[in-house]
Amino acid sequence: MTLRFGEPQVAIGIVFGVLALVLASAFVVIGIQAGSEIGFQRVHDVGYWIRKRWLALLLVVGVVVVGSTLLDLPYSSGSDAGRTLVRVTAGQFFWSLIPDSIAAGARVRFDVTSVDVNHGFGLYDPHGHLIGSVQAMPGYHNLLDLTLTQPGVYRIRCLELCGIDHSTMEGAFTVTPR
Amino acid sequence: MDAVTAIAPSQVLHPRGAAFTPETSRAERRIGLLFAASGLALVLLMGLLGITMRLTQADVIGLSPGWFYRLLTLHGAGMITGVLLVTMGALWYALRQDVPLRAGRMLAAYWLIVTGALAVLVATLAGGFGAGWTFLPPLPFYPAGQWTTWSESLFFSGLLLVGGGFFVYCLDVLEQTTARYGGLTRALGWQFLRGRDGTPPPPQAIAATVVAIDGLLSSAVASAILTGLLGRTYDSGAGVDPLVAKNLVYFFGHSMANLAIYLAAGAVYVLVPRYAGRPYETTKAFVAGWAGSLVFIAAAYSHHLYMDFVQPTWAEAISEVASYGALVPVAVVTIYSLTMLVWGSRYRWTLASLLLYVGLAGWAIGGVGAVIDSLIPLNFRLHNTDWVVAHFHTYLILCVVLWCFAFLAHLLERDAERTTSAAGRAWTAMLILVGGYGLTGTWFLAGLLGVPRRYAIQPPGTSGYSLAGSIFALVLALGFGSLCLQLVRLAREAWERRHYVLVAHTDGWTGGTYRVRVPREDEAVPSPAPHPSVGLPLERPGELALGAALCVVGLAAFLPPVVRASEASVGYHHLDHAGHFFLGTMLGLVAGSLPVVSRRLGPRPTLGLTAVIAAPTLMMLVMIPRFYEPLEHQPAEHAAYHLAMVAFGLLTGLGASRLGRVTGRLAAFLAVGMSVMFAAAMR
Repeated sequence: MTLRFGEPQVAIGIVFGVLALVLASAFVVIGIQAGSEIGFQRVHDVGYWIRKRWLALLLVVGVVVVGSTLLDLPYSSGSDAGRTLVRVTAGQFFWSLIPDSIAAGARVRFDVTSVDVNHGFGLYDPHGHLIGSVQAMPGYHNLLDLTLTQPGVYRIRCLELCGIDHSTMEGAFTVTPR
Repeated sequence: MDAVTAIAPSQVLHPRGAAFTPETSRAERRIGLLFAASGLALVLLMGLLGITMRLTQADVIGLSPGWFYRLLTLHGAGMITGVLLVTMGALWYALRQDVPLRAGRMLAAYWLIVTGALAVLVATLAGGFGAGWTFLPPLPFYPAGQWTTWSESLFFSGLLLVGGGFFVYCLDVLEQTTARYGGLTRALGWQFLRGRDGTPPPPQAIAATVVAIDGLLSSAVASAILTGLLGRTYDSGAGVDPLVAKNLVYFFGHSMANLAIYLAAGAVYVLVPRYAGRPYETTKAFVAGWAGSLVFIAAAYSHHLYMDFVQPTWAEAISEVASYGALVPVAVVTIYSLTMLVWGSRYRWTLASLLLYVGLAGWAIGGVGAVIDSLIPLNFRLHNTDWVVAHFHTYLILCVVLWCFAFLAHLLERDAERTTSAAGRAWTAMLILVGGYGLTGTWFLAGLLGVPRRYAIQPPGTSGYSLAGSIFALVLALGFGSLCLQLVRLAREAWERRHYVLVAHTDGWTGGTYRVRVPREDEAVPSPAPHPSVGLPLERPGELALGAALCVVGLAAFLPPVVRASEASVGYHHLDHAGHFFLGTMLGLVAGSLPVVSRRLGPRPTLGLTAVIAAPTLMMLVMIPRFYEPLEHQPAEHAAYHLAMVAFGLLTGLGASRLGRVTGRLAAFLAVGMSVMFAAAMR
């Protein structure tokens, strides 16, 4: 399966790219200005005036961004009712999913654990987009709730270093057309 | 008689920079050079391993997965150790102009860390250990035929030594800053913040105190989990709780990696003003920012466990807030304020000052990548992909490593009294920036594509990113090669100028003037005398009474109902042992704080330091079922074992009482904390 950029990832990339470019440009400008002579008192006065606004901006952005993302956590909640439970067991170096197929549109709860070491359950949709992940930890059960609407074969890749065959530890999960 | 006149040295610092540039003693220069040269040698070696791995991912060379993971483990542990060494040296050098840190402690830290690094080298290359430098338990004990038990033991011992060296360093920094500025809250600048002190400590002292506290915390956590895992290598009956262990591993791993940059920042507050000709002043915003960093550095680690859904949600939320919170002081009081110093300053561009400035941009850009990754819904799609590799390499290669080189360049430029050519600097910077950002750019893209990190074999169709990354990595290597060449030239000239001086010689017969080289007299800048440990952990009658009361509480660990209850699980059993240790520690602390006992014990700070490191470690090493289970049916031996736990605590408490009021209390608290964390992690 060929990997492809998902829409959320493209958006993240654009935001990061723009911010990185703005920062890089600022450092170029400051670096050029470093060669000039401006009285320190003036730099001090103007600089601290801007610094207060800069702090305020970061705090406002922080409240908005952190606040909104904390309202959109991927953690499962509630009971299994109305969900198809898929038991996922990881081990060196295999994935076992029971059942390994469901109908499209079903609400799925992946109950993910491991029989030996830590693994990472990375789920890729039939187009090769990484749609989410959860850790598989021995002795613990991590519950991941998803609704899979796209029929096809979903691939699972290990996202936690688990030993010699970590990079070839793959599994599959099928979503059949309804 | 011939007329002899000294020739004025060329200027490498800002004309006004002399005001912030005191003469350095021989110890400062030599220790600075030792840490910078050793650490950078390790960084360069680990960089070569990094290129080898990237070429393997690009299918250019055919390294087996077994060797790939050995190199991956060594690369991670070695890089962190290398940058830690240099940044420790840089902050020590910068701080010593105000605080009399002890050269002996610094050398002890050096040898502990170097020995630890060698142990990790042997464990990975010869022993085959390849569980990653974050060695998430229980992976080290599932080698899949790749490594031996002795390599596990050696790896854990190596990291224990590295953590021990950092502990020694942090304890000395904390002991001396609190003694120099009159207590912990003064050293942190909090009394200045509250308006009680008119003059605050300099920025590097506040930064160093914060780093020392967080460094001691993370070293203690490292000691708890690493001793537990070391015990597991010789007692397969000892189990480890993977979730608690993961918390502990990332608390110390994340903090160590993070602290390297904060250590460097402390030195940068001293170095940039020398090229900008403006002082970096301690303001109330600065003190408040570093107070925030003190908390955020410790609280942010849990973002490594976002995808462990069993971790309490409140912990994940705190971690997200702390991860963003950590950005604010960095962006406002460090990066922004340093650019304020540079703006319009007629900044003196030298090799060192260029690297210092470029490093600021690396921290800012890498920091944005880190903050994006620290938002939980985004981390859901980026966790453990190459995005993670991208952002930490951005601020490690393009900030911390550049600042490490800047520190060495600063030392050499000062001694050589010149810098390198403008063209040489420009080419070097261009190669490093193109290679560095190109390399991390390929990781950012691959991360967005969903390519998992730490893959020896890349997913189909993605090796092109690795190939492009490899090419950029080679460009970066050229840049660092060029940088090293310039540093070697500077080093030769620095050595020459350090040992000889050129003087103008006027020949009395001919009247001609020419330069001659004569041996330079050694400068007589004395090393400052260290402050003696100040105060006792428990001084006032009320404190001693509280200590005695805690001893009574500790006695509860011997009560039969408590002992019976502790048999319910291994964790409770270990908690009971931690209770015995707590009792001993409090007894030692109270006894050592009594004036009559303290006078008899004498100052003995080195013995105290040895006790607070060795006694808790030994206590945890024998706290494994293999040792105590056979004793459980023999009451006398079982009681003796419990009394041994008390004795280990007693030694720890007495040792802590020799370390002064602040560090003594903290050392005792951390020792008890280690035993509790150990109990929580083992099962």
